[in-house]
Amino acid sequence: MNDAAGGKQRRARFQALCQSLRPDLLRFAFWLCRDRALAEDVVQESMLRAWKARDSLQDESAAKPWLLTIIRREYARTFERKRFATVDVDELIAKEEPLLAAAEEQDVSDVRAAIMKLPDEYREPLVLQVLMGYSTAEIARELELSAPAVLTRLFRARRQLRAACGVDTSQDPQE
Amino acid sequence: MMEHTQYRLAIMADPHNADAELRAHREACDECRAFTEQLLKFESRLERAMRVDIPSKADVLPFARARPHAPSAPRRWLALAASVLLGAAIVGGVWLSLPQPSLAAAVVAHMAGEPGAWQRTEAVPQLELADVLKDSKLRLRPAAGIVSYASSCAFRGHQVPHLVVQSAAGPVTVMVLVHESARQVTPFASEGYRGTIVPVPGHGSIAVLMRDSGIGADEIQRIAAQVEAAIVWTG
Repeated sequence: MNDAAGGKQRRARFQALCQSLRPDLLRFAFWLCRDRALAEDVVQESMLRAWKARDSLQDESAAKPWLLTIIRREYARTFERKRFATVDVDELIAKEEPLLAAAEEQDVSDVRAAIMKLPDEYREPLVLQVLMGYSTAEIARELELSAPAVLTRLFRARRQLRAACGVDTSQDPQE
Repeated sequence: MMEHTQYRLAIMADPHNADAELRAHREACDECRAFTEQLLKFESRLERAMRVDIPSKADVLPFARARPHAPSAPRRWLALAASVLLGAAIVGGVWLSLPQPSLAAAVVAHMAGEPGAWQRTEAVPQLELADVLKDSKLRLRPAAGIVSYASSCAFRGHQVPHLVVQSAAGPVTVMVLVHESARQVTPFASEGYRGTIVPVPGHGSIAVLMRDSGIGADEIQRIAAQVEAAIVWTG
């Protein structure tokens, strides 16, 4: 096989890989940014970076965590570049209302609004755990935290969400 | 013996934690078992909430912006038509191909051993389902549908999760085959069943099948994609 054909094949394979992971990547980016348009930009830029760095991906089965790391870094870069003003969460919720309210059930919309209001340091590990299926150790590695610190954040995230969503929290433990 | 507070702190941080000590406490403590059931109900809401709808045409692929020579319109249409024809030929050809692949035949043969699996319609308790899935290092999001049967079955030398999920088209059997790699999507029809084997990169494959009641290949593939998307791999 000549180089051009090999390159074309690699590119097609990479494209197919991105396509298969696209829904999860976009959802992850959305919960990171809380802004759909920004999430799409971040994922797009991340895919270009991933293509350039493709040789560092040795095992295709590890593509998802590899891409999620690239997305997190790209989001951090975007945030740094644009130097966003303080985020007004209610404004964000209002802006993304069509997406947040897309679910047929009111209880799901309530949880979405509550997730939007979680501080970044609670929201990010929660999304990695619930949406991406990461273990505590994997979250700790990704966020460069200790495992106990991750567990504390996850506990607090759920405690806040449950309270915000009207769940009976009388039996919840105190730290 | 673990205390309630210690248990609840741990389970609120990770409701699907399969730790033996946590499990032993839950089995011995009615209050904490009830607490866990309530927590898992909320977890199900949380998982559904996080799965926001993704715009179907959002172009986030790596080369979307940097395509130097867009093909002319007629070439684009020809390429599209060729892709559609090729796709249809592949799917149609594989669907109709006989004899059955051996993995598919083994899945169909396994059905005969568990006829009762199709009868149930009520949801399997979440803790019971988690037990069946944990050895295969996966969880199932609620988006998969109601799981009405869950058993860990011996299959070609391994224990594999055998599930029945209630879909709009009727009960669907799902077998998660982490030890069986498949090279391509392989639809099959045999002995009154229609189904498909779907490769899952890094995690073997899943088999999805239904009783053959005239259901189309596309519908089976759609259900299989829905089930696959609902799987969260935890290892």
